[in-house]
Amino acid sequence: MTAKHEPVLPAGPTESAPQDGTAPLAVKPGSPASPDGPATTAHRAGGARVGGRQPRAASYSLAARDRRFGYGLVAPAVIVLLAITAFPLVYNIWNSFHHADYLFPTTFGTFAGVDNYKELFTAGLFVPSLYRTLGFTAVSVFVELVVGLALALALNRRFRGRALVRAAILIPWAVPTVVSGLLWKSMFDPQNGFVNFILLKLHLPLAHTTWLAQTWTAWGAILIADAWRNTPFMALLLLAGLQVIPNDVYEAAKIDGANALQTFWRLTLPMLKPALMVALIFRTLSSFLIFDVIYAMTNGGPGNSTQVLAYFNWFAMNGESNYGLGAAISVALMVMSLIIAYIYVTAFKTEQVV
Amino acid sequence: MHMWHNKTGPVLVAAAGLLVAGLAACGSSGSSSGGQVSASAKQTIVFATQGLGSEGTATKTAVTAFEKLHPNIKVQILSLSPTSDVAFEQLTQRFTAGSSTPDVITSDVIWPAQFAQSGWLADLTKFHPNTSAFFPGQMATGQVKGGVYAIPWFINAEGLYYRTDLIKTPPTTTAQLFSDAVAAMKKDSKLKEGLAFEGDKYEGAVTAFQSMGGQISTSQLGNLNSSANNGVLTMMFDAISKYHIAPTAVSTWEESQVQNAWLSGQTPFALNWPYIFALSDGKGCMPSCAAVNGKTGWVPFPNPVGSPQASLGGDDLVVNAKSTHQAAAWEFIQYMSSNSAQIARAISAGDPPSVKSAYNSQLYAAAPYFKQEQAVFAAATPRPVTPVYTQISSQLQAMISSVLSGQSSASSALSGAAPTVKDLLSTVQSGG
Repeated sequence: MTAKHEPVLPAGPTESAPQDGTAPLAVKPGSPASPDGPATTAHRAGGARVGGRQPRAASYSLAARDRRFGYGLVAPAVIVLLAITAFPLVYNIWNSFHHADYLFPTTFGTFAGVDNYKELFTAGLFVPSLYRTLGFTAVSVFVELVVGLALALALNRRFRGRALVRAAILIPWAVPTVVSGLLWKSMFDPQNGFVNFILLKLHLPLAHTTWLAQTWTAWGAILIADAWRNTPFMALLLLAGLQVIPNDVYEAAKIDGANALQTFWRLTLPMLKPALMVALIFRTLSSFLIFDVIYAMTNGGPGNSTQVLAYFNWFAMNGESNYGLGAAISVALMVMSLIIAYIYVTAFKTEQVV
Repeated sequence: MHMWHNKTGPVLVAAAGLLVAGLAACGSSGSSSGGQVSASAKQTIVFATQGLGSEGTATKTAVTAFEKLHPNIKVQILSLSPTSDVAFEQLTQRFTAGSSTPDVITSDVIWPAQFAQSGWLADLTKFHPNTSAFFPGQMATGQVKGGVYAIPWFINAEGLYYRTDLIKTPPTTTAQLFSDAVAAMKKDSKLKEGLAFEGDKYEGAVTAFQSMGGQISTSQLGNLNSSANNGVLTMMFDAISKYHIAPTAVSTWEESQVQNAWLSGQTPFALNWPYIFALSDGKGCMPSCAAVNGKTGWVPFPNPVGSPQASLGGDDLVVNAKSTHQAAAWEFIQYMSSNSAQIARAISAGDPPSVKSAYNSQLYAAAPYFKQEQAVFAAATPRPVTPVYTQISSQLQAMISSVLSGQSSASSALSGAAPTVKDLLSTVQSGG
């Protein structure tokens, strides 16, 4: 790792200019590539002059040949990607505008207009599911961010057995979600469960709660199961972000007389922004699409009080075999995910410029 | 950039085209259902079935015996997930892809109506099945759209287990059941509850509701918000919050929790399926079930408003509409539903026969409890036989769950679910 603080992931529009033969065409005044850019051009043009009178065209076709070869090399990967991502995506969007309910073979495949999207709102479960999903996302991401950041800060300090602890906190993340959901379900069992047993032994309240039978306690149980599994992921990403902050800025801050709180708010947090953005986007989107924990723990119950959008989606597809309605929910989920990602990216970008 | 478009563009388009064509071909293969293979030809049929352990062994034994009788037919077993929901998904994926295999499929009794509506099952009327040989409740699960789309394989129905040492005569009314449960709990401090049943939000809540008297047959569903249903839902809620004979946790219990409560001897009454008999009686009794060994009785759950209705479960055998081996498939189904094969399976795996005549001295000699089971199966009542069963069940599950957890009263839950259920029924009636 160099001292550069560029985020590890592609940073979108701020990506640096390509460093191959096309560089001269892309050079903008003042961009980092410009000092050696012209030199490269001169060198290439000089070499090409031997072959013909029009050096620019020759170098262009050479570059074009390179490019073509490059595209040929990536073509298999592109085709595979198209097959496994673009095709299902397009097919899904197509389905969402068609009748694709296996219960009605006669209308199957006929154009439906926006009927499937209308059904989302008339079916009555979509809007409440949306509110629940958004509420859960906000709370779970906030909890995981706070706890994850605290863990990351702790693990960034030097102490005995740090490597062991670092490895240990990753264990929950290695457990498949459905498995952890089922484990938590049995731990929240009111008669034989571990949670109530501990509460009872420690003489704490709620020791006789039937966790999954009431709306808010069920949500609490789901939140705990979800946070238990995903906080380590948050902590890991933030820890990586913390480790690329060079030590000398902290030393400088110390010399300037900054206290610990000031150092955290004015130094650590701003410099952690790229990592924070990645962690938040990842966690927000996967929390927004939460399904397996709820499927394993409550099946959307009691009543419909823990039914979320992805559960609604799964039921339309696999329970009702109504692929048109299911596709409409998927598309709605996708659009909302893109909006969330867009909000994050723009929010973090404008602040980074300052 | 131009060069790239000229050269690679068409390649990509062609590749995408090939992909689409390939997928389309997958979708339409097997549409050649006209080319049927005769039963006497040499052939292999694929049998998709669930079942592990003793059930799996019993299936293999039956398949071997069938192959001996029909040397020209080989049966290949395709294992489906033991989890019902997952098996359902595995099957719908095969069907939607238009696959001609598996040929014969084990189907939960609630699936044939939906599968038949989607055009995935072969109508077996052409083979002239003897429909009167089976328990009528289960036979009805395959009789849809004016045809016969499923043959019962083994029956299952939910009934009331009671401890013969604590309860002298099995209750015939719900009032008696409740007072017996309260009295038993007062007398015996080892009892943690009086009645265990499944109340979690899943299919079991619907079968428990029906077994306790819930009126949900296809014809009754038009009027879900009936006083009878209100009475049953209120009774379920009262068992928890008024009489305290069922723990609040029953609203999260499934069969396995009910089973544990029963086998550990902490409840005098439990609503469950016949498999419990084999676990709590005689040689099947595990060390931990000493409390109930030889003290197990089983009767239909008393119905507060009419004759008892034991919710029907069990498995049917169906034939894939795209199968080209339908005649051989029928031979196989006939063998699997024969008296001798059914008794053999009942004795080795505990699966109760779907054929009425299998309940005879030969069966009783091997496992006497089948005599009590027969009485429950006679009251077996199918859940609504309709293609929209999955959707209706989901509505009922949410309704029951919201009442048991105290989120809504019986009457508001019923009036909330009733119009949706009615709409669901009318969509198939008008569209199908």
